[in-house]
Amino acid sequence: MAQAAVAAQGSTRKKNRTGKVVSSVLIKIIVVLICFIDIYPIFWMITASFKQSYEWSAKPAYSLPDGLYFQNYIDAWNRGHMSTFFMNSMTYTLISLVFIVIFSVTVGFAVTKMQWKGRDFINRYFQLGIMVPVATALIPLFQIYKGMNIYNTRWALILTYIAFGLSLSIYLVTGYLRSFPDEIMEAAVIDGCDIYKLMRFIVVPLMKNAIVTVLVLQFFFKWNDLLFSMTFVSDTKLKTIQTGLMYFSDEFGSKNWGAIFASISMSIIPMLILYSVLNKFIIEGMTAGAVKG
Amino acid sequence: MKKKVLAAFMSTVMLAGVLAGCGSSSSSSSSGSTGSAETTAAAETSAAAETAAAETTEAATTEAAADTGSGDFSGEDPQLTKDFHILSIWAEDNDNGVLINQICKDYQKVNPNFTYEYELVSSDDLRQKISTLAASNDLPDMFVYESGKPIVDLIDAGQITDIGALLKETGSSDYVTPAATSLLETLSGTDTIYDLPLGLNVEGFWYNKALFEQAGITKTPDTWDEFEEDLKTLKDAGIQPLSCGAADKWGATRLINAYTVRTMGADAMQKAADGDTNYTDDGYVAAAQKIQDWANAGYFGEGVNTVDMNTAGSMLMTGKAAIFYNGSWFTSNLNDTTANQAGPDGIGFFNVPVVDPSISPADSYSMNCGNILCLSQDKTDEATKWFVKYFVEHIGDVAMEMQGSVKGYTYTTEASDMSGYTQLVLDEIDKAKSAFTWYEATMNSEVSDAAQQNVQTLLSGEMSAQDYMQSIQDAKDMSDM
Amino acid sequence: MKKVLGNKKAIALFVIPALIIYTIIVALPVVWSFYYSMYSGSPGLKWKFVGLANYGKLFRDKNFIDALVVNLKYIGFTMLGQVGGGLLMALMFRFWVKGGRNAVRTIVFFPTVLPTVAVGQLFQKIYEIQPNYGLLNSFLSNVGLQKWVQPWLGQASTALPCLILMDIWTGIGFHSVILYGALLDIPEDIIEAGRIDGCGGWQLFKNILAPLLRPMIISSCVFSFSGTVKMFESALALTNGGPGNATRSLSMYMYSVSFTYNKVGYGSVIAIFIFLMCIAGSFVINRFDVKESYY
Repeated sequence: MAQAAVAAQGSTRKKNRTGKVVSSVLIKIIVVLICFIDIYPIFWMITASFKQSYEWSAKPAYSLPDGLYFQNYIDAWNRGHMSTFFMNSMTYTLISLVFIVIFSVTVGFAVTKMQWKGRDFINRYFQLGIMVPVATALIPLFQIYKGMNIYNTRWALILTYIAFGLSLSIYLVTGYLRSFPDEIMEAAVIDGCDIYKLMRFIVVPLMKNAIVTVLVLQFFFKWNDLLFSMTFVSDTKLKTIQTGLMYFSDEFGSKNWGAIFASISMSIIPMLILYSVLNKFIIEGMTAGAVKG
Repeated sequence: MKKKVLAAFMSTVMLAGVLAGCGSSSSSSSSGSTGSAETTAAAETSAAAETAAAETTEAATTEAAADTGSGDFSGEDPQLTKDFHILSIWAEDNDNGVLINQICKDYQKVNPNFTYEYELVSSDDLRQKISTLAASNDLPDMFVYESGKPIVDLIDAGQITDIGALLKETGSSDYVTPAATSLLETLSGTDTIYDLPLGLNVEGFWYNKALFEQAGITKTPDTWDEFEEDLKTLKDAGIQPLSCGAADKWGATRLINAYTVRTMGADAMQKAADGDTNYTDDGYVAAAQKIQDWANAGYFGEGVNTVDMNTAGSMLMTGKAAIFYNGSWFTSNLNDTTANQAGPDGIGFFNVPVVDPSISPADSYSMNCGNILCLSQDKTDEATKWFVKYFVEHIGDVAMEMQGSVKGYTYTTEASDMSGYTQLVLDEIDKAKSAFTWYEATMNSEVSDAAQQNVQTLLSGEMSAQDYMQSIQDAKDMSDM
Repeated sequence: MKKVLGNKKAIALFVIPALIIYTIIVALPVVWSFYYSMYSGSPGLKWKFVGLANYGKLFRDKNFIDALVVNLKYIGFTMLGQVGGGLLMALMFRFWVKGGRNAVRTIVFFPTVLPTVAVGQLFQKIYEIQPNYGLLNSFLSNVGLQKWVQPWLGQASTALPCLILMDIWTGIGFHSVILYGALLDIPEDIIEAGRIDGCGGWQLFKNILAPLLRPMIISSCVFSFSGTVKMFESALALTNGGPGNATRSLSMYMYSVSFTYNKVGYGSVIAIFIFLMCIAGSFVINRFDVKESYY
């Protein structure tokens, strides 16, 4: 197999050597261009967050800031209760992620590998959730939470995050599990594993990639949620970081762009860190076939 | 229907008399001594008496009720325990947020058992938040909302407190200026107020003096013809005549409104809303056409639909455009020395130029009360009343002291550092003898949406003036369905 | 084996907690909106039973039809861009990019993780024309295409394409990475065999890669579809539905109807329509998946 690959590469190279010199330069340019298009806006946002308000209108958008105007960050941090929001966002996101992963693995396993009546139905039932428009749920959910007495508590948000994260996560996990070899499980069962041990020692470790994918995607979704946190908690002490982003547009739509960009930059910092630390995992997880059709 | 007729009547006739009262109040206090509290109050009372006289029976009965009730609220604050929830759109250190928080903190000194929770939503999400809360009868004790049509729904559903009656009961009606009171009553089409004002604003054209000079314009236009000439002069001089924040939509509809009112009178929009006229009638179409013509002539510069009000304002201040329509709240930008490169005297103000003084006179201004405060009907109790009493009695002074702004309440002090711009606005408010409201004030949200959204395609030339007004009429017909 | 995998208690333990949460929080509100759809006004505000009147209103509502058209265009082009473009990029990574594949993939995936609000603000500034030319217009004007400079977001004809481009920018990385993963799974010798048989680039793709990639392409389409059909935040952040109604989607219209016009009943009808549209859409997409049927 490895030999075949090497041989294949060799022959490809030989065949294309002359014709491909020009186009390989072209491709390099395209690739660099793509990377530039992906990166530049972020670079721009971070530099722009140091601009004073007059610079926004007096100078071209792409110009660098005159100086590092840290006041934007100070405004953003103080006015937006950023530290509280940061903690809240972290708490809600992490707790709901734990449950999403547990539920999606167990449900995903149950509907693909276990044998029981109605599993197809349950699977489809969960899949329907991918399609539910979020805004539809707001008013009914609000009433439900009121009735359950959890409106304006942490649980209102955490439960919502979990529930709305399930469908896509289960979809991802089942996609992966479908190509999961039955032989390994059979061998484990013959060795005397019961279902729980099977899950813990065989299935979960082999599903690392799928789990990383679920974690990452859901982390981004939850961290970026605005609609739910706006609706289901009213106590400032309980709100999340995305709500902090709204603190800067005043009554008549005038905006403090510098501070907005500063707070957006702050809100994406956890993601930047997470992404730069885990990017290998994430990309591996995504590529290594977490999502098999 | 009856209410609407009354409202229309009030907007045209009563407001005139009542605004005079307002003018005298602010001039008496701004003209000098700090000890003018009595005179101010006196002026207020006489104006209030006029109001009362105009609506004889109603006022008489409520006043009688107020007489019996006022005894309970005249003494010391009983220091009732209350956890007060306020929903706002301004951060604690921003705009009205500062004032509301200051009042709450001050009140805690009077009543240590009073605690409050200050919640913030963005102004875009305010409506959604309120309707979700209203759906489960859980409106906050006090919340910021939009005056005019939006609160009418809440009034009809019996969800918000009759603040007019509440103030009479606590004996503090006089602290809300008659001008603000009558404006709010007009806007909600009721004969009492259901909301507290958070501003008393005039709107008009701000202009860059240096650019006017550069184009050789020596005086501000009084008539519409002069105005159009000036626009052309500016354009010919290579200056962008107008900046307009059409990304925020209302910046553009205000211009249509200005011409509509000047050509058809202050009640033009009310008539169309009542169905007495159609939005597609010639006068309305002509106003829309006027704005489109300006856009076609390049008066707004390129890409007017992508400019928001903030940007449009900076374009005026940085000398990129000569004229900008906005309200008196714009002074807060003008007072910001880093943003305002035109300097403390570089920007001037003129009212909407007149077409025919017999239809709409030069001392008629576009006015509004900004965003307003409502109280949840269910949660209004004794403690709330005490707080509201304190609120209306003090916010006028606090606003004047801290921000030099007029909020629609009487005040007895002066701002320590009143800027030229702030004074300019106070003078303009004094000049106002009658008022007209903004374009969408009489429209429900569906119609207002149509008016606001399509104004962008009107400006870009992708929709004709006729079609634009037709879309507004369609939205009205649809919403009545 | 059977006994272990048929363990009723384990199944119950695995499925029921999630099922309860999901049912109450996701499914129940959907059913609830059927009930709401029979009322006019909003709960607490002019709430009146009107039967099926709201449904009758739907297709006479010009705004609804406009929003539907906008939404369908958006779904079509965005899916094409995200999945088609993602596929092209994946093929490029696989066959043409030699060095730094991982770095490139990492960078390309990056926009996926950004908050929509941030992306919207960013692109507003990119498409800007006044008071200063934004990135796009200053580029055009500098390369001598002054006549192409225009208010990209300020006119109905260009606003939707601009929005679609933005969402392709955000989504393409995600799709290219998962499609690249699928490409890696295709053994080199199969590709080589195809080459030896004389397949050119296109034939190679059509005859060998496409069939093998199909399940992944379908998944990719499902992701893209479920994201685009709900079109909401990105349009809100970039254009707020304007100019006019040029970028107002069904979800945005539903939101306005429910919360701004205070007609939750009628809003629910639109929500139900979106929901049905989603189901129909995924049904169509999955039709292509017949051969892969796994049950």
